[in-house]
Formats: sequence, structure tokens, C-alpha cells
Amino acid sequence: MAKYLIKRIARSVLTLAIILTIVFILLRQMPIEGYFQNFDKLTEVQIQVGLEEMGLTDPMPVQVFNFFKNLLKGDLGVSRIYRANVPVTEVLKDKIPVSIKLGSAAMAVSLLLGLPMGILMANFKGKFFDKMGTVFIIFIQAVPAAVYYLFIQLYGTKLLGTSLLFNQNDFKAWILPVLSMSLGNIAYYGMWIRRYMVDESTKDYVRLAQAKGLPKRKIMFRHVFRNAFVPLAQYIPTAFLNTVIGSIYIESLYSIPGMGGLLVQVIQKSDNTMVQGIVLLYACVGVIGLLLGDILMVVLDPRISFGKKAGGR
Amino acid sequence: MKKAISLLLCIIMVLGVFTSCGSGNATNDDATYRTLYSSEVSTLNYLVTSTYNDMTCGANCVDTLVEYDNEGKLKEGLATKWEYDEASMSWTFTLRPDAKWVDHTGAEVAAVTANDFVAALKYQLTPEYESANTQNLFGVIKNAEEYYKGLVYKGGADEDGKTWPEIDFSEVGVKATDDTTLVYTLGKEVPYFLSSLVYVVYLPAYAPQLEELGKEFGTDNTKMYYCGAYYMETFEPQVQHVYKKNELNYDADMVYIKTINEIYNAEAGTLAPEMVKRGELEYASIGSDILDDWLATEETKNLVSKERPSTTTSYFYCFNFDPKFDAAYEPDNWTLAVNNENFRKSLMYSLNRINPVAISEPNNPEDYIMNTVTPPTFTFNNDGVDYSQQAAFKSINAKDFFQESEALKYKDAAISELTAQGVTFPVKVLMPYNPTSDNWDKECQVVEQQMEGVLGADYIDIIIEAGPSDSFLTLVRREGKYAFMKCNWGADYADPETWTDPFYQEAGSLGYKYAFLRTAIDNNTASAATVAEYFRLVEEAKKITVDTNARYEAFAAAEAYLIEHALVVPYGISVADYIATKLNVFEGQYAAFGLSFLRYKGQHLYTDFISMEQYEKNSK
Amino acid sequence: MGMKQLSFRHSKEAQLADSINEATKKQAEELSKLSEEELFSFAEFKESEVERTGFSDYSYWGSTLRAFRKNKAAVFLVFVLIAILLFTFIQPLLPGQYDPNTINVNPETGMQYRNVPPGKQFWLGTNSIGQDLWARIWAGTRTSLFIGMSVALAEALIGITVGVLWGYVRALDFIFTEIYNILDNIPNTIILILISYILKPSVTTLIFAMCLTGWIQMARFIRNQILIIRDRDYNTASRCFGTPTWRIVIKNLLPYLVSVIMLRIALTIPGAIGSEVFITYIGLGLPLDIPSLGNLINEGRSLMMSESLRYQLVYPTIILSIVTISFYIIGNAFSDAADPKNHV
Repeated sequence: MAKYLIKRIARSVLTLAIILTIVFILLRQMPIEGYFQNFDKLTEVQIQVGLEEMGLTDPMPVQVFNFFKNLLKGDLGVSRIYRANVPVTEVLKDKIPVSIKLGSAAMAVSLLLGLPMGILMANFKGKFFDKMGTVFIIFIQAVPAAVYYLFIQLYGTKLLGTSLLFNQNDFKAWILPVLSMSLGNIAYYGMWIRRYMVDESTKDYVRLAQAKGLPKRKIMFRHVFRNAFVPLAQYIPTAFLNTVIGSIYIESLYSIPGMGGLLVQVIQKSDNTMVQGIVLLYACVGVIGLLLGDILMVVLDPRISFGKKAGGR
Repeated sequence: MKKAISLLLCIIMVLGVFTSCGSGNATNDDATYRTLYSSEVSTLNYLVTSTYNDMTCGANCVDTLVEYDNEGKLKEGLATKWEYDEASMSWTFTLRPDAKWVDHTGAEVAAVTANDFVAALKYQLTPEYESANTQNLFGVIKNAEEYYKGLVYKGGADEDGKTWPEIDFSEVGVKATDDTTLVYTLGKEVPYFLSSLVYVVYLPAYAPQLEELGKEFGTDNTKMYYCGAYYMETFEPQVQHVYKKNELNYDADMVYIKTINEIYNAEAGTLAPEMVKRGELEYASIGSDILDDWLATEETKNLVSKERPSTTTSYFYCFNFDPKFDAAYEPDNWTLAVNNENFRKSLMYSLNRINPVAISEPNNPEDYIMNTVTPPTFTFNNDGVDYSQQAAFKSINAKDFFQESEALKYKDAAISELTAQGVTFPVKVLMPYNPTSDNWDKECQVVEQQMEGVLGADYIDIIIEAGPSDSFLTLVRREGKYAFMKCNWGADYADPETWTDPFYQEAGSLGYKYAFLRTAIDNNTASAATVAEYFRLVEEAKKITVDTNARYEAFAAAEAYLIEHALVVPYGISVADYIATKLNVFEGQYAAFGLSFLRYKGQHLYTDFISMEQYEKNSK
Repeated sequence: MGMKQLSFRHSKEAQLADSINEATKKQAEELSKLSEEELFSFAEFKESEVERTGFSDYSYWGSTLRAFRKNKAAVFLVFVLIAILLFTFIQPLLPGQYDPNTINVNPETGMQYRNVPPGKQFWLGTNSIGQDLWARIWAGTRTSLFIGMSVALAEALIGITVGVLWGYVRALDFIFTEIYNILDNIPNTIILILISYILKPSVTTLIFAMCLTGWIQMARFIRNQILIIRDRDYNTASRCFGTPTWRIVIKNLLPYLVSVIMLRIALTIPGAIGSEVFITYIGLGLPLDIPSLGNLINEGRSLMMSESLRYQLVYPTIILSIVTISFYIIGNAFSDAADPKNHV
């Protein structure tokens, strides 16, 4: 186990280093306008001096080295346009907790609603509940989130009697954004669990258990559900990340000061250091998400044997 | 007894509210004025920014030496009196002694002194801080350019080979002779100097703090001090800004609204109107796409009024004389065509400006169209004659440009002349737009269809193209990557000279990079003589500094020449947006330039939204 | 949005792959159960069997098709999709149609037909500058379907080529696996946003940006399948006989994967259409004079709060939903039908 973990983590670190280097070099190709607040108004000499000060005229290997050195110190550079002269970490500091809170809430809600929904659908396969669930899943798949989010906001706030906008301190204001954010994953989990449980129910081990006289409910929960949940668990960390990034719509609609729309905004303002900082953050979280997913799977699934696993997942 | 009195007072107040409700719309200044914004400021540092969005804080939180009232009359601000020497090159301002700096809690920090103006100017002239506004100071404040460029080039030569020796800041034309006496020395005679003071470049900043924070000044609300009508109590980027009335301001009696809450929402355009309906906001812009619906619905039709008409900005279609766009759009062909006066005139007379304007203002589009570059009521000569009504403009103002028969006449003439020069038809006309500007994309579609409809698609082929949403002007207009495009210019000061800036280019200079008229002369094209004559007229006008009437007449002659020869197609002023607001927009400070229009000072908050009827009444 | 759909696709594929493998495994197991004698014994001569040409009448494709046809809803939706696709081309040819980009002007007043509600003159009404919504929706559907199909095709082509190389050529395995690890680690949405930003907005840009990450999943899947199938005995035998690699790949391996590839294509199309809506929403989408479902929905969104104008959002959403549902249901039905388990 320990050996697997070390190997797995080492590989993640290596992957991360490669990604960061590539992203760093790629982003260096962006126009230098993005390093100055008022690029238009500066003279050639000023721009040159500015670039030198930021170390952008050094040879690329030196830049990469400096970048990693600063990164280890937790320094992501200074925003120039999005919030002029404020360190990137300072900007992110306020936003990350909001996103994590919201993302966790949405994650919890989608697991709490999605899993039971899938189980019940499998249990009542072909019956009314199953059909309703399928309609729901298809609806979520088919209607663009951009559209149904708006309807939820418009009518939901009327129904709940809350403001159209988010307010961190008001519990009621959390309901609609969190629910909207979870809908996609509820549908996904529900579909997954249902499918898996329906498929497994004809497997030999289930038949054996039935033959042995175990009650159906016990079989379903002890064995089938557990097997179904393992691959799902692996997906959870990545899903969490996607929930955070995918919250662009929700965050813009409800004015939630999270990370969701940040990348798009800094891109639109061509703030190079901010773009770099955020892409790096996402790449890190992505790699860590996969790592955690794999570890979670190893921990949860007794069938996994160590060392022999090929590829990532 | 006390209780009884307060009860009585309460009743009176309640009655008061009721009675004033009956008679119209009562003031409710203690309530919070809430509004949405969709674009976060990039800095609060008013000394380096040139966007109005970023200046809002500076405009409301820092006072200027002089200011405008709601009718556009200049009055005293931080300065109580001012005088200038005979040559009007040296201006002495006496500051009021009771002006105070406060921090973001409203607590007093120090007195505003003349030194704070000097320090702010020095800050802007320090290249390290990358101020966007240095151009406004160059040539106006004595030695400003010399000091700045000395620091940049450190005694070396610039791109044009001119050397810039380093000079001491004491040689720059700004001095604090004592705490309340400020002297500006100008580099040339500037007839409009006083009016230009209501702009960020002449705002003060608390000197010790500037010194201490350097680049970090204004990065959030705790990193600056306030001496204006408001201070910023809360600054949570992408959440909200809260402004509180500054009770220590010398003019606090004129500041009515106590709290202003600007709330961030990326989809403000969609949500704000709905929030107004639900009573969650005091202001929303009503886009033209939902306007008809709002006016037709009983519940909302009395909520809609308009923004105060602004003559700050003038829009005009520029012909590009130095096209730098892709070969696919045939820049050489365009160059030949654009230098032909008949070609330009055929375009000018075929554009029906009503159609594109109607997209933003469907009801009275004709109110926003004008035939001159300089907007009406911009400035008046000594006899009170509106500059845009000068005699030189008489024939231009007489009728609308749009005349199909004229357009076709010029088209025929242009075809015969241009065919001889080897121009191929249809001439490709590249018309880019900024996708983030409201309605610009739609306007282009309308213009394309309308002009091609009149002139025929075999004559011109208008190609509309989305430009980059960021740095649009830099990458498109200033790079010359357009053929025929709507451009705009805002006055920097109260003198007609400001309206020649987009067009006039000194020899060897690109100026503000609009139409690149100088290229026509440099390349000795068919329109070289016309452009040269326009430049000569502008130069003549600039020489007249004492006699205002003569100066205005000369500038009017130049502008009329520019339009008569279709070197530009005047378009209109900014359309006054339809809004739902509880403010009387006519109570705010008013000026055709500077940051006066951003200020909340002087405005009351009313209990109800202003109806169109009230708006009309208020406007009188 | 894009990610969510991808995940749906993932699970579906994994499931399909599992059952294919299981079926082949079972066959092998059953064979191995037979004793040596049973395997190698003389067959009796039967007169009736002489005329038979094959040893089984099982045909994978026949069965798949038969199973698919049983799903009435899916078959119906296939026709719906074909009808929609054809109609996007037929619509402009019909009499009395408006051009999707023409701004219609009322000849009496000289003003544009702004926000005309659905009615006789404009079937689905007009937008805020007087363009015909009916024409725009069909033109938009055409653009969006075009984007979706191009992405799906490109993904399939690149994915299959790379996947086959990756799986079959051992020397390349390490490099491709590393590339996969890297690309898979950066969230798709981010790559989509970055590319759309760096390049100028156009149909090609969108297609390019969406293909950039999709192919790697396809390649990965093909590679895994090939690794499993590559060293099966019949392929080893072929190799021994000197059959060229490319022939083995095309004749023995690819047919095995066709069903999965088809499923992927069917699910990529609605995914790409959804991504286009997303990209348009964040302001990096197509210019307005190229109508697309993303453009129409985005324009409609801003009017959503006014009930009388909501038709401008509802109609494009309906067509987008029909297209999406159709592809999902057809894709799922097809994957069920392609599953050998369901062929008995």
C-alpha cells in the first residue's frame, strides 16, 4: 500500500511539474500588453524596463526556474489589470473559500439526493418512480443549464421570498444556487447507480446470495451498492473540481464571489499573471483530484491489488 | 412629555410623507441607494486610471479645486478663490482651510494642504507608476513632459532622436507656497485651464500616504484617504462597494444621499430590471430590447425615465486613409476609393443614421443625430452663440445628409472616376465592431443593409467583423485595421480645439490615430490638397488665442470644411439610456467633460421611481 | 456543462467495453471447459449440414440492428433527427422565407419590426432588431449541427488513428500515456476557454477548441481495447502468417470497436452543441451574423425576465432540447443494442 501511494504521488508531482512548465511557457507567448495596466500610454523604454523588472526578458529556462522558485514560496506574481498591483494570491484568497463552501454543499446535496434516487429507481425499475426519474435525467441532459438556471432563479426566489442575489449570511439564499449546481450531478449519480444496480442484479454473486436466502434489501446495500459506489467515489474529487469551475453561470447569476467566473474575467481583461495563476491552480487541483480519486478507490475497493494497476483509471 | 412630543413628531413626519406622496415624489435620503454594476474596477487609484469605471470612486470621494453645479456653471470647490497673471500662464489657488482627509471609517486623518496636489502630480509624472493620464499634463503644466521623459530616457534619446536630460521636480510648474496656496505654471497659454481642473489629473492625494504606499496606493479602500462628498466604507471586489456620506466634508450640507451600495452582478443587464420590479434596487438601465415591453405593461410603465442627455461624447464615422487590414479586404483598392471625394460623399449621403440610432432609441432617434462633430451646447462664444450654430455650419445644419438621389449622383461620378484609376467594384468596406459594446453589432448589421440597399451591393461590399473585445481601440482603430467605422471622441476641455484632436495630425506625428489624414498628404494622394487645406485651417485657428469669437469662427470654418469634403461623417451624441431611477438626474453636477457626471453630490433620493412625466418636468 | 456530458459518456463506454470483454471471455471459458477429446474428435457426416456455408448464423451487425429496431422510441427519434437535419437545408428554399440576417423593415413606417410576437407574418416572431426568428432558428440549428458533427468526426478520426498507434506500437505507449496524463489532468473547460480566447471567434475555432481534448479520450479507449484484443490467439496467428499490421488492425480489431465509436459520435454531437452554448455565454462565441443555437439562446436569455418576450428564448431552447434528447436516446439505445449480452 505505502509503496503504491509513494509511486502514485511521485507520478502526480512529476505530471504536475510538466503541466506547469508547459502552461507557463505557453502563457509567456501571450501579448505583453497583459503585463501592464495602461500599456497604450507607455513608451517603448518604459515597457522594456517593466519587462526587465518582471524578469520577462531572461532566457526561458531561467524564467521557468524563477517561476518554480517563487511558486514554492507561494508567490504567484502580481495582477496588473484585473486588480492592478494586488498580488494574485491576495485576489484568490478571498474567493477560494467561497467556492469550496459552495462546491462542498453542492457535492453533498447531489450525493444525498442522487444516490437514493438511483437506488429507488433501480428498486422500482419500470415503475412510476423510475419513469419520473428518467424524465428528470433526460430533462437535465437536454435543456441547457444556462436556461433552466435562469428559470430556477426567477421563480425560485419568488417562491422562497428571497432576494435575487446571494447573501453569504442568509441560509435561504444558499438553497437555490446550491440546488442548481447539484442538479447535473444528481442526474448523473442517479443514472449511474440505477444502471449499475440493475446490471449487477443478474450477476452470479447476487444470485448466490439470493439462493442462500439473504434478504434482497441486504444484498442490494451490502454488496451491490458498495460495488457501484467505488468507481463513483473515484470520480468525486474531479467532480468537485468541475462543480467549482462549472459554477460560472450560477456565480454570475447570483453574484457569488467565487472562483467560477474568474478565469473568464481575467481572460477578457487579458491579465496575464492572473490567467497564469488560475490555470496553475486548476491544474494542481485537477492532478490532486485524480490522485485523491485513485487513493479513495484503493481504500474503498478491496478487489484492487497493488502494483499491478496499469494507467491511471 | 418627551414621549408625547416624539409621538407628535412621528405623526407629523408620517403625515408629511403622505402629503408629499400625494403631490408627487418625496425625498427619502436616509434610505440606501442600491444599484448593480457588471464590471469590477481594476483599481481605486484615480491617479493612474483613464476609465470612468475606475474613476467613480475618485470622483465621489475626492474633491476638485473647482466644480460644476447642476446647470453647468463653474463654482468654487476646494479652492475658494483663484487668480492668474497677465499672460495667464501662472495660476494661484487659495485652498479652503477646513478641508479634511478622512479614512475608510470616516475618521479624520489630516487637513488637505496644497502639498497634496503637488505630491499627486509628482506621482503621476513618475514613470514607475504607469499613469494613463500623463498626456493630459504634457504641454499644459510647465516642464511636465521634460521631467517625465527625463526619468524615462535618463538623458538619452527617444525614438525620434530627441534627447531628454533629467531635470529636478522643482522645475515642474506646480508649487505649494504655503499650506493653502497652490500655484500652477503653464507651459503654454491654455484658455480652458480652469475647466480641465475637474479631471483626475488635478485631484489631490494625501502626500505622506502616497509616499508610503507607492504602487499600492488605491489597491483597496483602506489604502487611500478621502476628502470628498463620500468615503468608501466597504470594498469587496465582485461583491459590493459601499459609500457613506462624509460628514466632515466642507460641503456636507449639499450631500443628501447617506449610503450608496453598488452591488456586483455579472448579468446586471438581465437582472437589474427584474430587481427594480421587486423593489430590490433604486436604479436599473432598461435596455432597448425590453423597453417596449416595460412601456406597454401597466405595472412598469411609470418606472421608466431617461438618463440626462449627455453631450460629452460625439460619434462620427471615420474613413481610414491608411488602411492596414488584411490583403483579403483589399486595402489598396480601398485607399484609391477613399481618396476620391465623390466616393466618400456617396457613402455619406447614403447613410440613414436614423436606422442604427433607432436600435438604442426607438422613440425619438432624430434627437440624437447631429450634422457637426462638435455637439450642440458644448460651448458658447462671448455673444452667447452656440458653437455648433456658427454661421459656417449653416448649410451643413440645414438638412439631413441622407438623400438617395444625391448619393446615387455621387456614386455615378465616383464609378467613372475610379474605374479610370483601376478600382475594382464592389469596393470592400471593412467595418469592425466591438462585441462587448451594447448594440454595436446590431447597428453594423443595420448600416450594412441600409447602405448596400441604397448604393447597390455591386458598388460597395460592407464587411462587418467582430473585433477583439479587449483593447479594441488599440488593436483596431489605432492599428488602422478598419475602412469605415464608427468612432467617438470626448471633450477634454471647454474649447472647440478639443474636437480637432481626432483629425488633426502634426507633421511626423500620428496624433490620436483616428482617420490617419496625414497619410493622404504624405503619399500625395488625390485628396492631399483637401486634407492640407483642412490642416491649414486648424493651424490658423489655433493661433487665435485672445479673441474668443474669432477663434470659434476659425475652428468652425475648419470643421465645416472637414464635413463638406466628407473627410468624416458626423453621426450623433450618446443616446440617453432609458432607466428606472429614484434620482432626479437633473440635480447632479453637469459638465460636458471631466468627471462631474459621475458625482452623486447634490442629488436627492426619492421614494418612488421617476416617471417620464416627472422627468420632462424636471428637465425644465 | 461539457464535463458533465463527458462523464455520462465515460460510464456508458466503460459499461459497453465490460460486456464485450465479458462475452468473449465467456466464449473462451466455455471452449476450455471441453476436454481434449471433445475438442479434437471427428465430426459425424450429416447430409443436412453439407449445404450450410457458415457454422453459425449469428451476425453481430444483424443482431445489433434487430435489437435497435425493437426500441421504437429510438427509431422514431432517428427519423426526427434526419427530418430536422434535412429541413435545415430545405427551409431556405421554401417560398416566403426570410433571410436569417436580414433586418426586416416595415414599409409603412420605415421602422424595423422589433420584437414582433409570433404570428402570421413572422411565424416565430422577430428579435429586437427585426430579424425573423424562424429563419434564424433553422440557420442556427444548421450551424450547431455542423459544429457538432464536425467535432464528432474529427474526434473519431484523430482518436482512432492515435488510439490504434498507441495500442499497437509498443514504443509509443509511454509517450502517449504521458500526454494523456497531462491533457487529462487539465480540466476541459479551461482548455476550451483558453483556445477560444487565443484564436479569433469563428466556426473553425470552435471546432478546433472542442476537438483539442476530445480525441484523447477516444484514443485512450481504443488503445485499451486494442491492448486486450491484440494478443488474442487469432491475432497472434495472423501475425505468424505474416499478415501486415495495418491489415490486422483494420480487419480484426476495428470492427470490434465500431459500436463504441458510433456511440461516442452520437454522444459527442449534443455535447459539442452544449459547449457552443457555454462558449457563447462567456462571450467567446460566434459573431451575431452567424446564427447558432448558442447565439440565439444567449440573446434570448437577456429577455427572459419579460414574459411577453420570452418566446425568443423558448423556441431555440426547444429545438436544442429535441436535438440533444434524440442523440442521447439514440446513442443509449444503440449501445444497448450493440451489447452482445442483449443479443440472445
